[in-house]
Amino acid sequence: MADRRGPPDTGEQRRSTDVGPTNDRKSAAVRHAIRSELAVDAPAGAERDAQRTAEQSVVELQHVSLAFDVPIIEDISLVTREGETVAIVGESGTGKSTILKLVLRLLVPERGRVLIDGEDVTPLTFDEALAVRQKMGMVFQGAALFDSMSVFENVAYPLREHTKMNDDEIEQRVREKLQFVDLDPDRVMEQFPAELSGGMRKRVGIARGMANNPRIMLYDEPTSGLDPLTTGTITRLIMKLQHELGVTSLVVSHDIRAVFRMASKVALLHDRRITFLGTPEEMAGSEDKYIQDFLGGFST
Amino acid sequence: MLELLTRLNDAAKSKVLTLQEYFVLAGKSLRFMFARPFYGQDVIQQMDEIGVKSLGIVLLTGLFTGMVLALQSSVQLKTFGAGMYIGNLVSASMIRELGPVLAGLMVAGRVGSGIAAQLGSMRVTEQIDALNTLGTDPIKKLVTPRLLAALVMLPVLTVINDFVGIIGGNIIASLVVGLPSAQYWRTVWDQIANDGFTLRYIPNDFIQGLTKPIVFGGVIAITACYFGLGTTGGTEGVGQSTTRTVVTSSILILIVDYFITQLLLSVLTYG
Repeated sequence: MADRRGPPDTGEQRRSTDVGPTNDRKSAAVRHAIRSELAVDAPAGAERDAQRTAEQSVVELQHVSLAFDVPIIEDISLVTREGETVAIVGESGTGKSTILKLVLRLLVPERGRVLIDGEDVTPLTFDEALAVRQKMGMVFQGAALFDSMSVFENVAYPLREHTKMNDDEIEQRVREKLQFVDLDPDRVMEQFPAELSGGMRKRVGIARGMANNPRIMLYDEPTSGLDPLTTGTITRLIMKLQHELGVTSLVVSHDIRAVFRMASKVALLHDRRITFLGTPEEMAGSEDKYIQDFLGGFST
Repeated sequence: MLELLTRLNDAAKSKVLTLQEYFVLAGKSLRFMFARPFYGQDVIQQMDEIGVKSLGIVLLTGLFTGMVLALQSSVQLKTFGAGMYIGNLVSASMIRELGPVLAGLMVAGRVGSGIAAQLGSMRVTEQIDALNTLGTDPIKKLVTPRLLAALVMLPVLTVINDFVGIIGGNIIASLVVGLPSAQYWRTVWDQIANDGFTLRYIPNDFIQGLTKPIVFGGVIAITACYFGLGTTGGTEGVGQSTTRTVVTSSILILIVDYFITQLLLSVLTYG
């Protein structure tokens, strides 16, 4: 896969390795399992997203490369349009989280451009980048709540930093966000992150990420390290955010089941490059050996 | 041979880079003291953390240093029949050297390690990234309040340290040597007056004794924040940053102490 690509179109499928007739029984079973999963959850979101494809790109990566001592990612191009949820999947250590850091401009790409709302963020100064980041809400893998602050202060943090809201308005907003993530404000507001369970911490993380009503939400492994039930809760929350508030989302995950439920597009990161980009259905129907192997765990 | 040179070159470059980063951090955090937004509450909290909570160890350090100074010097001075000059010796040593340096070393151990561990775990649990993401400059939010608190609190701790040390000397002078307290305190003041004044009223000893802790405070805060923010490698990395902070800031305090002394002795007119 050495050819250079233009900005990818929605739904267009790309393959890295040769596509052989690997249709053994196992992969057929895998695809069937995936399709039945999709049939339950995906259609509504996918249809609506399909109507929006013509709209402006919200988050866009153009031929982005980054290396520290060794190359991390090479020639990544990805477009996320208004209201879409794009999931980036791949094995651990393939640089998935790096892409989020590039979008947040916590890292600057060596080559290529990162565009937020059509604006190139690569040449921005540190202070300008701080401003652009306010358009985005980020949910970290370990929630990254501030240990020294209560749940209330955590969720109120972006409001105190960037708005002129008074204390009453802030409290009202914090309560609203905590309720949105199905937490009882009166019970958790005064607690500290260390007192919360993993799932609750994640939910507070989401509440903090969305406190400022950002139009873009970024999730780094939102369901990792959670039990299946909590995983379901978090996945539903992310979908609720998409549907009720229409935010554009970028999800990094290796939890393929959760991804298939919430994503309108899936990008597969393999060998530092995006080797597949398409809808979950297309991914499930792919004949590609690596994709089949990658999805293999899904049927079990 | 060429390989050796290349490696030396790389090593030198990375050292210079480290030094540069250190001073950039120091410069930025100093500059942020005068730029909005101000995190007043964080400053107060850090003053409590760095200053008030270090009071115990500083009191103990000062008391016993003063006592042992008086004890040792009493033996020496007695042989010259100069036992009544204990006050001079304790006062000069405490105010000029031991007060600032020992307070600095104790705070480097107690506070420096704490700052490095806290910022280090914030780094490895992505809380620093979270601050950045939420549109806050971590240097402004975390480093500047700690630096400001250290710059203010270290001189305060040092003055307390000096004072308690001189009191410790007083106790030993009267118990062991039998020197009356009034005599002791007179020699303490004599020493300060003998060392001369700047602008007629400011004792030179006080200038030395207060310049040092301000610089030490800066050294401790910046070193701890530098290693804390630069933590990599998970929880093990936090341990390493903590150790590096204590070792580096302690050594820096001793080195910087020499140069400040050298500088001030040449600037101030003694005697």
